[in-house]
Amino acid sequence: MTPCSTWGLLAILRKLRSNPDKELRLLLLGLDNAGKTTILKSLASEDITTPTQGFNIKSVQSEGFKLNVWDIGGARKIRPYWRNYFENTDVLIYVVDSADIKRLEETGQELSELLLEEKLRGVPLLVYANKQDLGHAVTAAEIAEGLGLHNIKDRDWQIQSCIAIEGKGVKEGLEWACKNIKRK
Amino acid sequence: MRLLKFLLRYFPPGLALEYTQGGDIKTKMIDLLDLSAETDVRALAESIKAAEPIITESVMDQLVETLQKLQAKVCDTDTKRYYKYKTLHTHLLPVTNIALDKLVYNRHVIRSIDRCLTGSYDRTCKVWDIDSGAELFTLEGHKNVVYAVSFNNPTSDKIVTGSFDKTAKVWCSRTGHCLATMWGHDAEVVVAKFSPTQCKLATGSIDATSKIFHIETAPIRRNLFYVRHDSDSAGQELGTLRGHTAEVIALHYNDDGNQIISGSFDGTVNIWDTRTFARTSVLIGHREELSNCLYNFDCSLIASSSMDKTAKVWDARMNSCLATLLGHDDEVLDLAFDNNGKRLATVSSDTTARVWDISSNFQQLALMKGHREEVSKVCFSPNGHQLLTASLDRTTRLWSADDGSCFQQLKGHTDDVFACAFSYTGDSIITASKDNTCTIWR
Repeated sequence: MTPCSTWGLLAILRKLRSNPDKELRLLLLGLDNAGKTTILKSLASEDITTPTQGFNIKSVQSEGFKLNVWDIGGARKIRPYWRNYFENTDVLIYVVDSADIKRLEETGQELSELLLEEKLRGVPLLVYANKQDLGHAVTAAEIAEGLGLHNIKDRDWQIQSCIAIEGKGVKEGLEWACKNIKRK
Repeated sequence: MRLLKFLLRYFPPGLALEYTQGGDIKTKMIDLLDLSAETDVRALAESIKAAEPIITESVMDQLVETLQKLQAKVCDTDTKRYYKYKTLHTHLLPVTNIALDKLVYNRHVIRSIDRCLTGSYDRTCKVWDIDSGAELFTLEGHKNVVYAVSFNNPTSDKIVTGSFDKTAKVWCSRTGHCLATMWGHDAEVVVAKFSPTQCKLATGSIDATSKIFHIETAPIRRNLFYVRHDSDSAGQELGTLRGHTAEVIALHYNDDGNQIISGSFDGTVNIWDTRTFARTSVLIGHREELSNCLYNFDCSLIASSSMDKTAKVWDARMNSCLATLLGHDDEVLDLAFDNNGKRLATVSSDTTARVWDISSNFQQLALMKGHREEVSKVCFSPNGHQLLTASLDRTTRLWSADDGSCFQQLKGHTDDVFACAFSYTGDSIITASKDNTCTIWR
């Protein structure tokens, strides 16, 4: 996997383009501190940074696809703007901090609202159960149950446990996303 | 006919004659693009007098004095140092674009009043007083990212915004009210410009078309079968410019307003007649997407920059390619003419900026090396002696346009700088960054 592009106005316009066959748009969402940017940087083999004020876009090569990943900040005040980014999404990636048990309800609420969005209808869902290295983290299976993933009938979904900071599990999730698109 | 007064335009240098004719006050603009430190002002005054019978011997001293003032301003090569003056904490989400007021006629000189627009991912456009750093208005109403922002120079009483919500909106710049919404595009609007006559505007979109709208906001006829969803009126679409095969990302009117150029990711510049909405010419030659295209000051030349690592200069009347500027090692991301239309500057992903002679042999005049990452924006200072570049390396740099040496680095932004501009007189610089702030430097 190699990063191939940076931010810039022109870069944004180029990524708005009607994608050719081998180019996918991945939308990376989740509460603040879930580890979205860390997953993005892990995909692009870059260093870890601070909370995301606005958003990051990265292009990475994987499984023969060029993946344009849009990473939007998760702070409460930024969440209303998530919908700015819904259009033309090929895969929705939702990141959960498995160790932040107090906020599992909040993250479940945000996810169920996302799944009701018209513009995201039928878009495959990949959930990363992140921070599995922390002692009090709950397992991916428990999170899947907590989020009610088994009740989702209108789209493909997958849960993947990961430790983004070490890069563990991130690639596996992405492989599922790419395979799923191939069947599209 | 009676001459009332001389008006000066500093950049590009020019003289306007204000006179009365049959009770009406009129102005005639005379371009003095060749004015330099070596110009014999007395001889220039004589030649203007010979061409303009309205100028009599009695006003010659005044004319010479006026021209000397213009010469002093235009040829002032002092390199001012800029310091951080104000930081505008603009938006919750990143800024997309900035635009400044310019060219406001007042009684004696044409000067700027200092307002600035910022568009943002937070779906608003904000209007700033850059003297005080105060926010004047927030223009709210778009349902997605506000990408394009522009004033209707020179009067600057209206603002146009183009949004990823597929519409453009026109706003009153004095009250912040939305005057009209332009519907019709099938995808994001990424460029929106007022016509020089100001009663129309043109938009360019990711849907590969451009549209021309009338912005006269006449009262809407309502009847029993007609329900409005918005409080503001809809602008009337006059025509659609169809022909590009990919996204339109740049668009400009010529001075007369009868022609538009549009640049596209299809690699071409198209020229359109704004009265018939017909395509009059296609400038073919670039091998990859365009990043920008522009007219020079008198609209005799068109320049285009491309991902194919080149820039091209075209004759706007013959629609022929005059030169291909080769030298950059990577995508050319932006370009700018100087105010006299004699030089062109280009910037690239190869981290350099270059200045080219476009008045004779199209040679490279200067190379600016120093940025550590791609350079995304370029402009000349109003008098053309300096070049300003914005880069992903978080700095904005000021260079000698003559020899390429770096005068100053403007540091302070904590993320990519993607826009920079001079105020009309060159007294201030404004920069916009992905760190969600704009900085004013004086």
